Formats: sequence, structure tokens, C-alpha cells
Amino acid sequence: MARGALALLQGLLVLALAPGVVGLVRWLKARLQNRRGAPAWQPYFELRKLFGKEVVVSENASWLFRAAPYVVFVSTAAAALLVPVLAVPLPIDAVGDLLVVVYLLLLGTVFLALAGLDPGSAFGGMGSSREMTVAALAEPTVALAIFALALSAGSTNLGQIVARTMSDPAAALSPGHLLAFAALFVVMIAETGRMPVDNPATHLELTMIHEAMVLEYSGRYLALIEWAAALKLLVFFALLGNLFVPWGVAVVLTPAALALALASLVGKLAVLAVAVALLETRVAKLRLFRVPELLSASFVLALLAVTSSFLSR
Amino acid sequence: MESLFAQLVVLESSLVLIFGLVLLWRRRVPAYVSAFTWQSLVLGAVALTVGWFGRERELYFIGGLLVLVKGVAIPRLLGRMERRFASEREIAPYVNTATSLLVAGLLVLFGYAIMRPVVAASDLPTRAGMPLAMGLVLVSLFVVVSRKKALTQVVGFLMLENGIALLAILGTYGIPLIVELGVFLDALMGFLVMQIFVYRIHSTFETIDVDQLDRLRH
Amino acid sequence: MSFALLLVPSLLSALLALVVRPYRAAVGWANAALSLVAVAGAITLWVRVLRGEVPVAGADGLLRADALSTLLALCVSGVAALAAWLGPGLGDDGWGARQARRFRIFANLFAFTMLFAVTTDNVGFMWVAIEATTITSAVLIPLHASKASVEASWKYVLIGSVGIALAFAGTVLAYFDFVTLIGREAVALNWTVLQDAAPALNPRVIRLAFVFILIGYGTKAGLAPMHTWLPDAHSEAPPALSAMMSGVLLAVALYAVVRWQAVVRVTVGTGFAEDVIVLLGVLSLAIGALSLVAQRSYKRLLAYSSIEHTGLICVGLALGPLGVFAAMLHLLNHSVAKSMMFLLAGRVLRRYGTAEIEGVSGLLRVMPWTGGFFAAGMLAVIGLPPFGMFVSEFALVRAGFAAGRPVLVAVVLMLLAVGFVGVLVHLNRMLYGRPPSTVTLGESSRWALVPLGGCLVALVVLGLTLPAAIDGLLVRIVAIVAP
Repeated sequence: MARGALALLQGLLVLALAPGVVGLVRWLKARLQNRRGAPAWQPYFELRKLFGKEVVVSENASWLFRAAPYVVFVSTAAAALLVPVLAVPLPIDAVGDLLVVVYLLLLGTVFLALAGLDPGSAFGGMGSSREMTVAALAEPTVALAIFALALSAGSTNLGQIVARTMSDPAAALSPGHLLAFAALFVVMIAETGRMPVDNPATHLELTMIHEAMVLEYSGRYLALIEWAAALKLLVFFALLGNLFVPWGVAVVLTPAALALALASLVGKLAVLAVAVALLETRVAKLRLFRVPELLSASFVLALLAVTSSFLSR
Repeated sequence: MESLFAQLVVLESSLVLIFGLVLLWRRRVPAYVSAFTWQSLVLGAVALTVGWFGRERELYFIGGLLVLVKGVAIPRLLGRMERRFASEREIAPYVNTATSLLVAGLLVLFGYAIMRPVVAASDLPTRAGMPLAMGLVLVSLFVVVSRKKALTQVVGFLMLENGIALLAILGTYGIPLIVELGVFLDALMGFLVMQIFVYRIHSTFETIDVDQLDRLRH
Repeated sequence: MSFALLLVPSLLSALLALVVRPYRAAVGWANAALSLVAVAGAITLWVRVLRGEVPVAGADGLLRADALSTLLALCVSGVAALAAWLGPGLGDDGWGARQARRFRIFANLFAFTMLFAVTTDNVGFMWVAIEATTITSAVLIPLHASKASVEASWKYVLIGSVGIALAFAGTVLAYFDFVTLIGREAVALNWTVLQDAAPALNPRVIRLAFVFILIGYGTKAGLAPMHTWLPDAHSEAPPALSAMMSGVLLAVALYAVVRWQAVVRVTVGTGFAEDVIVLLGVLSLAIGALSLVAQRSYKRLLAYSSIEHTGLICVGLALGPLGVFAAMLHLLNHSVAKSMMFLLAGRVLRRYGTAEIEGVSGLLRVMPWTGGFFAAGMLAVIGLPPFGMFVSEFALVRAGFAAGRPVLVAVVLMLLAVGFVGVLVHLNRMLYGRPPSTVTLGESSRWALVPLGGCLVALVVLGLTLPAAIDGLLVRIVAIVAP
């Protein structure tokens, strides 16, 4: 029972934390670029503002356009519930499969792309086509990276992967793990639309991917989509942080363990946020035709990860 | 202890291989030079690791030599060439970047496949890294044949040698020292001669793009 | 002592050329004289081997000359002497002092590395020496700086170095096998030790090792499909260097293959190494022969003919004892014929100023002796009697039938016929017709014809009889390589 409650609590925590992480990355980036930057909690104000605004929908838009934000938000939130954030194992772990998480996220991406096409605006279509290109190239990498992890843990169940890595600390340093980490990191950047694949801060028609898709949205729809995007980033952060470096995740439900888990979670999120902010400051956005090259590089990393975990079993 | 040794060696070998893959992904010469430098330094670290855990004194010496020659001396010479030819980028290699990377992945798998009997024959804790070394050998070979700039080809050749050195260190804890010294001397002389030719190609053809070397065909 | 006689002269000559600057003709003459000392060293080895000895010298049996090494040492020292006598720096030959000095330094180092490669027992040092041949010879290719020669030397040094590096990977794998199964020993890389241990080695690892070794040394030997550097390098190098590269460097690379083949044969059994070798051999033969037809330059013609003959030697290596005998005889013939031909081609090039077949006509009228030798040499190269190559090719065909491979023999004969026709057409065009008006008539530096004539005589002798001294050597080689 307590575990069930914890699962719920964990879900709420993730929902609440997500905008903050995005805010943190933005703030860090601003500081790195010698700007003062908006505070980390700025996204919460933005969400509140958007929820209060009226919705303007194109005349050409169908039901799909209205349904998409809910689908995107719900699927992302469902994925967020499955990810081990604070403690393992949780009752919901029975379905807490890495494949489920990844494809729930992909479901959201697909609906977003459809919604981008729906109103028939030029930018939406362009964004959707680009997003699908990236997704199609990122998907094989994700699948391979998952297999690399699953091979060394003997299961695609998230709880078990975490438990396995915790019981064998040396495995965290194995090349299979490190390569899979690198591959997933690249995929994370591509899927969450960060630099150098996509610039989340621009509305320049030549380069935008994610922003082009959601250009037609306003009001609470936009709020849901922004929130879902933040959730997605957090889900990937949690996956990278807890699957590869699982220490800190609570295995017993004592307050002390949970407190430690919370602290370590915040720590890991902060580290990853710094990494992303640094990366976004250091590198220039890739030209669109270089993106497939980046993704095939990450594919090769994932391939190597699978090979080496397969052979070192 | 044994497993730590094995883990460490495989980790370092993967790093050595990944620095080799950088050649396929990047296009600018400085990136190649720094990838090669880091690769050589990690290779030196492999030699030291194996020397420490395997109790082979000679490997300290070889590791030191690797760091000195391939980690410091050759990169310095490469750096001088790099400043000369910085404007020459690997813009359109014979095989485009995305395909190259996939080919490289397959080559590494192929390396694993052909090294199966070798890995099976060994009982050293370092054996798991040998296929990675073979992978690097094959990938560097691919770099040499698929890239157009003479300087890229030179770096590819140097990485090929690193791959073989890695293979020797992992498989046999180093070949006899006296032979190793001969190999080192050859490697250095070979590099120096290649360097002379790169300069010469540049002064005769005003580019280091070997695609321009087409006087002798058929 | 014999080893010192063989190896030291070339080092001394290189040192002499290095310290005396600017270059003086005396250095060249000293080099020429010393090159004969090396030949004498090879001959003493020959005599000792025929008496049944296997001369060994140096720590851990570093140097060792069995019959196989001796044959190669004879070829290398002989061709090196030819190059020393006819190379740049003696008399007025159009080369400047700086070029002559560079040639004398590196050609001697080149000769030394080849001699060391064939007389060391340690396969690791053999690799080091063969890799060094690439470096020492590559420096000399652009002796006459031009776009074409720079291009040729780049291809050569890159493809050669990369290829030879693969051979080292193979050597490491073989050493790995030895260390894994038998233990770490300082002498583990000695060929004799490897050969003794061969029955105990792991066949699967040795197979993999041999593939690398064959590709590696095969690259240096100009085997197709790794031959692409060869026509460029051999045609752009100065004639004396071409003679050394085509005459003996290919043979030295093949020597390394043969050494390893002997080990593989014991470990894996007959069949594997032979199949791979014959595959590359036939491919080279085909590419060499077919390219002969389409050539426009006589130097490239000779280079492709080298590929053809290397392929032929490889085919022989795969045909059992008789085949090995034929292959080794062919190797000797090829060394003599090709070094002579490249030197003659150098004379033609100097007179006509072009390497194009189109630009050369009336050769027999312009330079009767050179033209005559050139024609005779070409006929020898395509395997007509009464020259040595006819005998060795005939022996090879017989070996093919004896080994029960008539299809292989048919393919080889067909390809040889293609090459034959190709060369004859080109040769005709060069020998007869009206000489271009810009070309002066008459031979120059006649004394150079003496050693070249000597080569021709040797070819004829080898075509008419098989001297007992050579027969004895070849029989011993067969006993080593294919018992």
C-alpha cells in the first residue's frame, strides 16, 4: 500500500519538478553566457499564464488538433510514472518496461507531428517532417541502447536494470554501459529538441524543428505541450541518471532512504542540467543535413554497446 | 582484482576505438590531431595498466615511449602541418559521413567475428579488448581508403599502428622489446617520410587533396 | 664472416655517401666496388649451403641463411651491384651531385634492409626490415621531382606502409598464438622456433594470422588487388631503383610469404595457404596480363609484367614441391630479366626523352646494342626459349599437371598468351620504323652494356641448362618449404 502511495507521490513529484528543470537549464545557460537570465521558476509562471489565456484555433484544424495536446501530455505523464525516480521496486514496475517508456514518448511525438500537419500551415508541416526524420533516425539507436542495457541486466524491466547495476557496481563502468549512456545522451538531445540538433530558444524558420510544429498552438493547449516537453526532458534525465548511475535510489521505504533518494535525484538532475547547458553554450547548432550524421554516430555507439555487452556477458 | 583489471582494460580499449571513430565524424584537421593525441595517451595508459596488473616491467617502458613519441612528438609535428593546411577540410570524402559511420560499426562487428577464435584461445584477463583493437585496425584502414586529404590518411595510418600496438599489448603483454624498438623506429621514420611527402604534394599540387593526384591512371 | 661480407658493404657505402659532401664520383666507385664484396659474401653463403651447412650468427640466432635465404641474398646483392654500377653518380649520366648523393645513401640502405630481411631468422625483424624498405625506397622515387613522381611516391608510401602494417598485425596474431599455447620466450619470433612449434599451434588463429600476413606482404609484392601502387612507383622511379624494386623487392616480399606459408602448412595442413595464394596469384596474373595490352608507356608495360610474373610465382608456390621448384627458378629468372629491362628502359628513356611507346621508334637503328638487348629481354620476359623464363614457366605448367590442376594450368596459359601478344605488338612498334629526327644515333656510355649483356648471357644459360649449383640450391629450398 505504502508503495502504491509512493508511486503516486513520485508521479506528482515528477509533474511538479519538470518545469523547474527546464527553468534551471535556461538559467544556467544564461549565466554561462554572461546574462542574468530569468529565475529557474519562470516556467511555472509561464504555464499559469498560458492556462489563463484563451485558445485560438485555426479554421482548418480538425479534432486531431484539439486532441493532440491531451494525448501528448497524458502519454508523457504515463511514461514519467513508470520511470524509477525515487525508489524501486514499485507496484507499477510490472509494466515499467524500458520499451514501454520509450514508445509512450514516441506516441507523443507522433501525435505532435500529426497536429503540426493538421492546420495546413507551412511551418507546421516543415517542422513535422523534420521531427519525423530525427525520430526515425533516433529510434534504432534507442532500441539498440536498450538492448545493450537489457543484455547486461537480463531484462528490459526498469526496476531490474537499476537493481542489477546497484548489485554490481563494476558493471556501471563497463564499456557496454558507457557506450549506451553516450548513445542515449545523444538521442536525448535529439528527442528533446536541444542544441546542437534543435534550438529551443529560436523561432527562425530555417532551423526550428520542435517550435515549428507547435507554432499554431496557444492558450492551455500550448501550456500542455510545453509541460509535456519539460516532462520528456525530465524523463530522459531520470533514465540517464538512474539507469546508469543508480546509487541513491531507495530500495527500502524508510524516510531516511527516501530523503537520500530525493537529494540524489536533485543532484543528478542538476549535473545533467549543467551538462546540457554547457553543451548548448559550447557547440553551435548543426546544419540540418549534419543531424543524420550525428544520429548515425550515436547509432554506432549503441551498436558497439550491444556488441560489447553481448560479448562480456 | 582480476575483474577490475579486465574492466579497466576493456574500458580503455573502447576509448581508443572511439577516438578512432572521431576521424569519420569530424571534418577539421585539428580535431583529427587531438583525437590521435588522446588515443595515443590512452594507449599509453593501457600499456601501463597491463604492465601494472600483469607485472611486466617492459610495458612501463613501452607505455612511456608511446606517450612520448605518439602522444607528444608526432602530434607536435602534426600540429605544424595542421597550421599549414588548416583550410583543407575533409568536405566531400569518397564515402559520406553517415554511411562511413555505419560502415565503421559493421567493421567493428566484423572485427569481433574474425577475432572469435583468437579470444577463445586466450585466457588472459585482457582478451576481451582484442576485438576492439582489431576493430580499430579495420576502421583505420577504412579511413585511409575513404578519405581524400593526405593528412587524414596519415592520421588514419597512425591510428592503424595504434590498433596493432593495442592488439600486441592486450594479446601478448607486448612483443619482445628489441623487436618493439625496431617497430617504433619504423613507425617514426615512416611518419617522417609521409610528412615530407605531404609537404611535397602541397608544394607541387597546391592542395593536399589526393583526388587531385590523377596524373597516373590506368 | 659471410654475413659480415654480405651486410656490411652496403652500410659502409651508405655511410660513405653520407659523410662525403658534396658528392664525388669516388664515392660511387667505392660503392660499386663494395657491392661486389656483398656479392662475394652471398657466394660464400651459397658455397656453404651447398656443402650442407646452415650458417647462423648473432645473439639468439639473429642471422640465419638456409637455401631460401641464400637464393634471395644472391638475387638482392646481384641486383644491388648492378644498380651500384649503373646508377646515378658514375660518369656523365644527367644526374646532379645532390641527386647522386641521395641515391647512393638510400639505395644502399634499401639494399641493406632487403639483405637483412632475407637473412634474419626473426620474423619480427624481417617485418621491421621490409617496412624499412618502403621508407628507404620511397624517398628515392621522386629523385627527379615531377608531379607524376610525387604522386607515385605518395601512393607507394601510403599503400605500402598500410599494407605492411597489416602484415605486422598478422605477425602479432601468430606470436599471440605461440605465447598462449607455448609460453613467452625471447626467441618465439624466430622462424626456426615457430617452425618447430608449428604442429602445436592453434590452426584457427594461424589461419587468421596468415590472411593478414598474405594481404600485408602481398601488398608489397604487388599482388592484385593491392597492386595499384606498383605500376606508378616502378615507372616513375629512377631506372636503377626500378631495377631494384621490380627485380628483388617483390621477391623479398614473396620470400616473407613463403616463410610463413611453411609455418602455416605445418599447423593447418596443406591446402589452406595454397588456396589463398593461388587465388591472389591468378588474379594478379590476369590483371597484369590484361593490362599489358592497353599500355602506352613501356615502363608501365614492364611494371605490369612484374605483376604478371609475381602472380605466376604465387601460382607455382601452391602447386606442391615441383611447383615450388619452378616458382623459385622463376623468381631468379625474373630478378635477372627485370632488373636488366628497367635499366635498359632507362637508357631508352634518356635518349628519346619520353616513356610513351608512341614516341619510340627505330630503336634498333638508334641504339643497336641497347635495342637488341631490349628486344631479347622482352622476348625473355614473355617466356620464349632459349631464355630462362621459358624453362621455369614450362616447369610450372608441368607441376600444374602433376598436381592434377589442368583447369588452373589452362587459365594460366591463356593469360600468358594474352600478355605475349600484347607485348609483341608494342615491341614491334618500338624496334622498327623511322627514328624521330630529334634523336641522335649511336650508343652512349658503352661500358654500361657489359653488365647488361652479362644478365642476358645469364638468362640464356639458365634457359639452356640448369647449373648444378643452382639446382642444388633449389632442391634444398623445396625441402624447406614443401617437404
